[in-house]
Amino acid sequence: MPRLARSEWYDLARDMNWKVSYVDESEAWPDELSTGKGIPMEDWWGWDESYKVSYREYVHNQVGKDAAVYSVNSVLARSKMFSQLDPGWKSAILAHYGAIAVGEYLASIGESRMGRFGRAAAWRNMAMFGTLDEIRHGQIQTYFPYGLLDREPRADWAHKTFHTNEWGAIAARHLFDDMFTANDAVSTAIQLTFTFETGFTNLQFLGMAADAMEVGDIDFGSLISSIQTDEARHSQQGEPTIKILIEHGHKEYAQKLIDHMFWRSWHVFALLTGLSMDYYTPLEHRSHSFKEFMDEWIVKQFLDQFRDFGLEPSWYWPEFLKETNWYHHALHLGVWFWRPTVWWNPDGGVSPAEREWLEEKYPGWNDSFGKYWDVIGQNVRNGKPELTLPETFPMVCNMCQIPLCNPAGFAAGYLDSPAPLIHDHGGRRYTFCSKPCRWVFEQNPSRFQGHMSIIDRFLAGQIQPATIPGALAYMGLSPEEMGQDATDCSWAFANGTILKKGA
Amino acid sequence: MTTSERRRAKTWSLLGDVRRKVTPYEAVTAKFHYHFRRDPAPFELDPEMPLNTWYLRHRENSPFQVDDWEGFRDPFKLTYKDYVSLQHERELYLDGLVDQHEATEAAAGLDAGWVDTLRQLFVPLRFPLHGLQMISLYVGQMAPSSFITNPASFQAADEMRRIQRIAYWTKVLGNAHGDDLATTAAARDAWVGGAEWQPLRETVEQLLIAYDWGEAFTALNLAVKPALDSLIDWQLGELASRNGDAFLSLLFAEFQHDARRSRKWSAALVDYALRRDQELSGVLTGWLDTWVPRAQAATEGLAPLFGTAPVSMPATGVVDAVRSQLAEVRATCGL
Repeated sequence: MPRLARSEWYDLARDMNWKVSYVDESEAWPDELSTGKGIPMEDWWGWDESYKVSYREYVHNQVGKDAAVYSVNSVLARSKMFSQLDPGWKSAILAHYGAIAVGEYLASIGESRMGRFGRAAAWRNMAMFGTLDEIRHGQIQTYFPYGLLDREPRADWAHKTFHTNEWGAIAARHLFDDMFTANDAVSTAIQLTFTFETGFTNLQFLGMAADAMEVGDIDFGSLISSIQTDEARHSQQGEPTIKILIEHGHKEYAQKLIDHMFWRSWHVFALLTGLSMDYYTPLEHRSHSFKEFMDEWIVKQFLDQFRDFGLEPSWYWPEFLKETNWYHHALHLGVWFWRPTVWWNPDGGVSPAEREWLEEKYPGWNDSFGKYWDVIGQNVRNGKPELTLPETFPMVCNMCQIPLCNPAGFAAGYLDSPAPLIHDHGGRRYTFCSKPCRWVFEQNPSRFQGHMSIIDRFLAGQIQPATIPGALAYMGLSPEEMGQDATDCSWAFANGTILKKGA
Repeated sequence: MTTSERRRAKTWSLLGDVRRKVTPYEAVTAKFHYHFRRDPAPFELDPEMPLNTWYLRHRENSPFQVDDWEGFRDPFKLTYKDYVSLQHERELYLDGLVDQHEATEAAAGLDAGWVDTLRQLFVPLRFPLHGLQMISLYVGQMAPSSFITNPASFQAADEMRRIQRIAYWTKVLGNAHGDDLATTAAARDAWVGGAEWQPLRETVEQLLIAYDWGEAFTALNLAVKPALDSLIDWQLGELASRNGDAFLSLLFAEFQHDARRSRKWSAALVDYALRRDQELSGVLTGWLDTWVPRAQAATEGLAPLFGTAPVSMPATGVVDAVRSQLAEVRATCGL
């Protein structure tokens, strides 16, 4: 062990700040890659991270973490563990791998952007570790499903999702490109690390890790717990960045960046985590409802962090709180109904016992969402699976790229109108699912205006043939990969009768 | 539930119908950059938004293009796991080296003349090396394939490794020979104002704004970094050895491993590109014609400091040695 404590020398490894003079500062830190809001460069140099680590500590720590996680995987890969997992849980992890694995790798690009265009050496160093961390997360989360390919061909989506035009893939790309792959360094620190990682990935990783251990999926549980320990370190890049913006009178700007990405993250996490927690995870292993996790991790803990900076909950907070009661239930209905359009097998998850749990966690669920499932269940029991499958497509939001489910929110009593929000801009009509999605667009239309949602592409004739099979092919889903109910609709049969294949 | 029933997959479908099972390195590296040459724009936002136009301009429209970058393989085939494991071992070695020289109070035993040389030539190094770290990360974020992004990112981490060992030893020197050595001013004043450092600073700053990804890679990995590595890891290591500073001599010898790894993957990338398109030789040579003289000017600025050490090395010898390594890098690349 070297004699000097890290604290004795560490400042000398993060003071490499100087005023460039052979080139223009604005060329070396162009605004589009590092929006500095005109704050003098020297004022960024006080950027100070709270969680410090040296390179030698990093490699010494990480080698042990990797060894632990890979050895668990190596042992379990030879076992029957995966094949014995609950089918709904398998769907949850296949959805996770597809949406998250390559996305995390791409976060290394956002980290590298901060590592180059961050405005202080201390920040760039933290982003250096972040770059390595995200390469780790991309690689480890593809390595595990890679080992499942011979048992679960849908594990292929851990690798290919981001190369496809499957609607969830478009939504994930649109979110992640906005957040980090195509974002400037300052905004990335606030939107990726503070908003998304401090807030939402806690939800996905801690929540899912707890559920994984309950379910007995030690492989996945150890994987994402290990990832979370890295996130906890590199996610701290947002706080010092916010502090500097606020100190220089840009509180409103910081607030706007957070509000923008908080809302977008919420929608994708409602889709991914909401469905996994409340419908796909086996009932006996659910530690909390999605809403309880939201209340604990987001509404309470993350809000405290906002307030530490003198920031306030966004203008849309009441709408957000309302949505935690209904939005993911509506999405679940939609995803299940349009199940051929996803790469996992959605688990209806509405057996009598599960409905009882849903009613307890979400009072009124039976009267609002349960009544749709009554009809679906009846069709299933009557041997009419075709009535539970789509004949057309829903509108998709021009911001979150997620299908609109406003009518379900309206019918459940949470929205004033079932109609989408229409917005005309630059001679084009845009459709949004919510005021906050429209607001994000309005804040910076040039960032989004030329993008076409999958439905825009369909209507513009870019998807041929313009039929459901044509659109499914455009999404990259082979008939074998299209989602089916995870349990052959066993939830619909109180007596346990299994539906014929094909539902 | 039935999972899909197509035949058992050997590998990712995006890797095509390969008969062999791909290596774990390939399985976790191939085809991660979905955004390269994507239509209508790299990123899933307005096609004209700033980062889309930036990537189109500096990556898709770089003169450094081949039909397919996915065929490139880092000769070391490093995954994150392998990189961390490799450097964990090397850092254990350095921990031992530091222990050994702290136990013998090696720093306190250095003579004042040599400490003065270190003040001028060693202490400021963390500034240019941080520049190299930043530029490696730029190459990584712009590279068209993860097979290139990853070694560039690991290379950036290697720079941080070197910087932190230098920073640590700077503090040790400060404790033994005067706190002023271990201050920001002791490094930054020389870096920003010292005449010997200005050609290097000018080169590093110019390299910060070489935004074409091919030019950034070429300038960094085939000119500026090998020149600086040669100057530090080889020449300064040799100077330390001659002046009885065994620790620094061994420390810099250790960093030669990292430098060689950078040169090998860089040469492999050039070889890969030239095998696909021999015409690229002209593109790379054009960039080297700009950047090698700049790298050499940087060396020439610092070389005289080698002549002022208690046991000196002539500046011309240092410059020639660096020039010879740069020539070797070019020759290895066939440029």
